Amino acid sequence: MSPHKTIRIREEGDALVVCVGGYLNSLLGEEVDKVVRARLDGGGRLILLNFGGTRLVNSIGISFVIGIVEKVMEREGRMAFCEVSRINRELFRVTGLEKYVRSFETEKEALDYLSGNA
Amino acid sequence: MGYLRLFGTMGAEASFREEDFFGREEELSVLTRAALDGARGVGSSFMIYGPPNIGKTSILLKLAKALATPSDAEGLPRPFPLYFSFSQILSHPLALSQHFLQEFLSQLLRFLGDARPSSFDPAAMCDRLASLGVTGCREVLAAHDRYTVDGDGLSALVNALSFPFSASGELFYPVFLFDDFQYTGKLQGVPEGAMLSILRPYIKSGHFPMFFSGSSPGRVTSALKREGLFGTFQMIEVGGLSTDSSVGLWGHLCGRRRVEVPVSLLPRASERLGGIPAYQRMFVEEIFFRNAKVSDAVALENLYAVSVTEGKLNRYWREFFENTFPDRARRGRAIRFLKRVLCDRFPLDTVEGAISLMGVSEEEGNAILSSLEFKGLMKADLEQITFVGDPVLADFLYWAFERGVLGKGTSQVAASIVQARLSRTAPEPGQGGGHARRVAAVKDLMRKWDLREVPLLLLDFGKFLEKFGGKGLLEVVIGMEREAVKVRLPKVSSVSTGYRTSHGGPRFDFDLVAYGFLDFDFSEENLVIWAVDVALEKNLGARAVEHFENRCRLLALEKGLPNDRLRKWMLINETADPAAIELASGYGIHLSHPTQLRLFLNLFGLEELERDPEPPRSPGAEAPRDGRALEYELVLPIKGDSEVVAARVAEEVAAFAAVDADTVDRIKMAIIEACINAFEHSASESGKVRLRYLLSPDKIELFVQDDGKGFRAGKTQEESKKNRGWGLKLIRELVDDVEIITGPDGTVVHMVTHLGADSSNHGAAIKEEGGSDSPGER
Repeated sequence: MSPHKTIRIREEGDALVVCVGGYLNSLLGEEVDKVVRARLDGGGRLILLNFGGTRLVNSIGISFVIGIVEKVMEREGRMAFCEVSRINRELFRVTGLEKYVRSFETEKEALDYLSGNA
Repeated sequence: MGYLRLFGTMGAEASFREEDFFGREEELSVLTRAALDGARGVGSSFMIYGPPNIGKTSILLKLAKALATPSDAEGLPRPFPLYFSFSQILSHPLALSQHFLQEFLSQLLRFLGDARPSSFDPAAMCDRLASLGVTGCREVLAAHDRYTVDGDGLSALVNALSFPFSASGELFYPVFLFDDFQYTGKLQGVPEGAMLSILRPYIKSGHFPMFFSGSSPGRVTSALKREGLFGTFQMIEVGGLSTDSSVGLWGHLCGRRRVEVPVSLLPRASERLGGIPAYQRMFVEEIFFRNAKVSDAVALENLYAVSVTEGKLNRYWREFFENTFPDRARRGRAIRFLKRVLCDRFPLDTVEGAISLMGVSEEEGNAILSSLEFKGLMKADLEQITFVGDPVLADFLYWAFERGVLGKGTSQVAASIVQARLSRTAPEPGQGGGHARRVAAVKDLMRKWDLREVPLLLLDFGKFLEKFGGKGLLEVVIGMEREAVKVRLPKVSSVSTGYRTSHGGPRFDFDLVAYGFLDFDFSEENLVIWAVDVALEKNLGARAVEHFENRCRLLALEKGLPNDRLRKWMLINETADPAAIELASGYGIHLSHPTQLRLFLNLFGLEELERDPEPPRSPGAEAPRDGRALEYELVLPIKGDSEVVAARVAEEVAAFAAVDADTVDRIKMAIIEACINAFEHSASESGKVRLRYLLSPDKIELFVQDDGKGFRAGKTQEESKKNRGWGLKLIRELVDDVEIITGPDGTVVHMVTHLGADSSNHGAAIKEEGGSDSPGER
């Protein structure tokens, strides 16, 4: 188990909030993928990834995020990112993720968007 | 059972004149093609939106006419255009479902060749349809009757709206032309998105062409998003006609009424009315009934002003506002608010700012904004709002405000409209891309201020130069932290570029105007306006400062702002004359150097300005070995997560160069990716990766060396998993140069980040003061 792996999940209304902490590598990516997949299988459609605690990201971690986005889109769910640092924003831009998922500064803004209040 | 008498409503459908339809070729071509694709079971969905009066309904009706014309396509079903406006129905779902059934049966019979029936007898219509080969209508009707008796509005609605989908067949297929769709969100006892939920399976089936039109894009768009349909719809925004089409329409309308307007005046008349066909028709009627002679531009403007203040154009908008805001006081507030936005060009693009400007409770402010949005005068997207640019509406609001609030006479107002128009000058040409980027960066910055305290030295170049001239960036940052004199920035509700103070008044084109409040107090007393100019000239002179100050004074005068409520800020391009610095200080103008702006951006976590293109470097050039370089080496085991150690060392090394946090992050990410690739692909026998960090005054070089077979730019077996293979692409984005050298002893990835690439942009004036070109001064 990687010492850098931290993940916290909680529900906010209909949305699942996944707080990704530490180093987003393959292990953590897999873990995030697992909880999102379980949520989609259970009928949930609103997913928020909070990157506020993400200190480092590597390309394998990003590949998991891309896979998660694809799954959410396949199931016609809705997804958002929040508290994304500048470097991670840059990585999301390069990998094209920013075209598919909106990023918000705060979790509240993202949840408002997901719930359609924004 | 009894049906309501709404049969055959004589609305827009009846008053549409095909011969008055001009232009819109592109939109019609797209829509017609999509509608005809329905013959092969291929459907697509469009959302047509735009402000009131712009001609959305005409597009749908023109399309209906075009589709109703028999085509040559043999053997394929014919398109049956079903036009239905939701604006004419009662808000009860039962009334809507009944009305929809009536319209459907009636329009289908006419489509199949019958004349319009004189009365509405649904049973007879169903029988007649059965005789024409459309079966099953009676059953649908019987079910609808049951729901009606039970008072089950939602089921009745589902029943009625599903009818056309089941009634089609080999003979025809329905093309849905749903107008005023925003009204479906206001049905009694039915949730806002219910209509879309009912239609959702048919939309998602992809078999039916569906064209929706509405004036409330924000509302409809969010409903589409809630239903997961947003991606299915193509959006078409409708604006005024092109000048050519508009001139063509003038010719046609004038010819019909036999009124004469010189051809040379028509482009001007088109622009005056925003190219909006409905206004053109009203205006020609005005010329005709007043028997007016429109021989030149002044006569045109006079007649226009009279029409806005006491003619048809006036009546249209007056009734519009009376219906939209039945409460007189609220109507007054809405008009005053819109006048400030559309005529006075108050800089406004947030909901929060709008409510502040109205000076009403949040509840009432939201109600006014919601009404404006519903009627298409405003577009809301998340927290951002924009308003329509309808010139006739702007002039109407000006009249309504001047007359209603200030008590001026109509002729007095009309005269000032004419005067304003005739004296108006053409907009100034846009500035270069670099200038626009800097303005955008400052705009972004202001949005983030939000009552934060910053050292005053960030704003005042003279004192900044005195204190930090010649110092490196790191010293400046540390010094700034200790700076005791702070300034509290306002909470900015809205920022806007360009500004004209009053209707027809002189143009004060600041590069940026921000509108905010002090101390969380959203009252007029605490209103503060920031006027910003971003200098274009390389060396700012005293004259430019003088000119800026004059504009600021006029702005303060027009807005009635006391001195301390107008903040003046000029951003230097490169350097400034001492005289300009002194003058700015005397006038209380904040003057900031690009270095100060850069610090500001860093402080607020914003993107730095793009750098000017660098001269090309020769690829793979050797780094200079001048004896001043610092070198570190590290050997890592190929082991999960040991790349994090490499990143930490990179961070420490970068700290020696005092580079900014973003550069450090990029270097860390690049080395992580290079390590991962070495771990994954080298098949190294030693199980180790060697790293070298080389820090020289002008660059940081990183070497990642393994004893394996090479760096894989493409996908390997392991990477054949989806979405992998970003490593090299990311590295190329993160550092300035990348070189991969594969030899018999292994592979070296050589990455270079240049330092001081933007030294020409930053600190030019500081260097003039004798400053050194230190590594920190980048």
